[in-house]
Amino acid sequence: MIKKAKGATLALLPLYLFALVFVVGPLILMLVLSFAPQDGWSYGTGFTWDNYRAVFSASYLNIFATSLKLAVIATLAVIVIGYPFGLCTALLPGKWTRFFVASQMIPYWVNSLLRLYGWIIIFRANGLLDQVLMGVGLTAEPLKLLYTYPAVVVGMIYVLLPFMFTSVYQVAEKLDLSLVEASRDLGAGGVRTFCSVILPMTLPGLKTGVVLTFIPSMGLFFIAQILGGNKTVLVGSLIEELLMKAHNQPGAAALSVILMLMTAVVCVFLLRRAKWQK
Amino acid sequence: MKKLVSILLVVAMLTLTLSLASCSSESSDRTLNLFTWAGMFPDEVIADFEAKTGIEVNYVNFDYDETMLAKLQAANGGDYDLVIADDYIIEVAIAEGLVQKLDTAKLPSLKNVNPLYQGQFYDPTDEYTVPYGAGVQTIVYNPAKINLDIRGYADLWDASLADQVGIISNYRVINGMALKTMGESYNITDTAKIAAAGEKLQSLAPNIRLIKDDNIQDDLLSGEIDAAIMYTSQVTVAKMTNPDLKVVFPEEGIGFGIMAMFIPSQAPDSEAAHEFIEYILDPEVSAKCYEYLGYYCTNAAADALISEEYRSFLTLPTEFSADQMEMIGNITPEADAAHLEAFTAFREACE
Repeated sequence: MIKKAKGATLALLPLYLFALVFVVGPLILMLVLSFAPQDGWSYGTGFTWDNYRAVFSASYLNIFATSLKLAVIATLAVIVIGYPFGLCTALLPGKWTRFFVASQMIPYWVNSLLRLYGWIIIFRANGLLDQVLMGVGLTAEPLKLLYTYPAVVVGMIYVLLPFMFTSVYQVAEKLDLSLVEASRDLGAGGVRTFCSVILPMTLPGLKTGVVLTFIPSMGLFFIAQILGGNKTVLVGSLIEELLMKAHNQPGAAALSVILMLMTAVVCVFLLRRAKWQK
Repeated sequence: MKKLVSILLVVAMLTLTLSLASCSSESSDRTLNLFTWAGMFPDEVIADFEAKTGIEVNYVNFDYDETMLAKLQAANGGDYDLVIADDYIIEVAIAEGLVQKLDTAKLPSLKNVNPLYQGQFYDPTDEYTVPYGAGVQTIVYNPAKINLDIRGYADLWDASLADQVGIISNYRVINGMALKTMGESYNITDTAKIAAAGEKLQSLAPNIRLIKDDNIQDDLLSGEIDAAIMYTSQVTVAKMTNPDLKVVFPEEGIGFGIMAMFIPSQAPDSEAAHEFIEYILDPEVSAKCYEYLGYYCTNAAADALISEEYRSFLTLPTEFSADQMEMIGNITPEADAAHLEAFTAFREACE
């Protein structure tokens, strides 16, 4: 038994080393860099709080608020669409389950950037959506749909939906239907059964889905760039701007550290609640 | 048997490598290590140079100026014979001693260079560099969709252009527009004035539909936007696709940037580099290069040779004087930070 465990540890060693070098290492580097002073084109030696002071300036806090708002909107929308979708798919007869799961998965064999360009074809002036709307007589002129906030939200939902769907589906699939029947037999109505039997049992999936949706949505700035015309300023795009245009690596590092802390707090909160409930 | 086969295989491979090695050392005795972005010269020009001089061109690419600088620093100014990069990074390279002075005696065609592009901040005495193409800030618009006669940046603020303008995401260029309408220089370092330009820019927000660096010309061509501030290469693509588009030199003044050739301090064959520069400065060769490159021609003698269809957006009008033109140069980190802050607030206002 001991020998077996030792073997397993040894087998995992490359993985640990990999994580140490390529995950922990860069994180430490980023943390150190975030306290370094900016020095012309590069960064100098020494210690400074300046980068963090900049993060907590009014305009930057505004950007955090914008990012948070978009992340919350996207996550809520994904819950509203993805949860019932995942749940119902699991309850369907086997053939249909497979069909819907495949319908969610197959598009994701294509790179998400390419799929977003597909939305441009739909949203652009005289694009697919305009043609449909004008065809049925709902609108007379092409709408300006591309490069708007709603277009960004649609893009976010589109990219993030499968994370919620799969998380909920996997839990719902294992749902013991006899418990639902028992609830109905004991006189509970549909709402009551859902609230006290189905929801608590699928909650872990919902939570995983929220974590998997909310965290990436804080960083998915390329959707705002492609579908929003770069007018919604998110933390991610500010980090990019600081790195690529302003040559301010310490500033970008400080922003990244704060962003990671924010998402870590959300993660810990959700996962701890899950443990406590068990 | 197996062993015999593998031994034979090894012997065969060894002879092959040896013969290849001797081959490559014989093929050409001189090489020009040219270090620049991809697609800077038409194949024809490179092939002609090789045929004429017997110097083989080893074209090495970089993606970003910063990568170029890092490689040059690592090589201590060696490895490469000729580099073409952007003005702002050349200033840094010269300051770090990575660039050698040109031997002007070997470059009689230097007289062809358009003086408007000479004596600039990155090389005030033109001792180190020769310009190879310029990016010139213009306004491009579709007269079929816009009734306004746009003459300068101030016209972009016109209320009739609501939600019709697309701009690149370059804060020095965009904030610079506002600075220009206020009669200021692109390169002021007074952070209060930069903030004031930012304020002024916010009132432009209702007209902005799109802020985008990559392929913004597609949006102008598809009608998603009807007026744009773009990079020069994008203007070229747009004009070539739709010749009816109008390119305006803003009346407030012309901002520009330069790509220039320089020879690294420890270049293995600086002689070959001089020969190449001299060859490129030939007006006929230059004309071919700029038509291919899609940037403004920095060779005055080549201007007249640029074909009619390109001339209006690859050459400057001859009546332009130096005081109408201003390079967008390096500024202090504080001023740069003020620019970024102003631009970020502007982007937020556009939403």
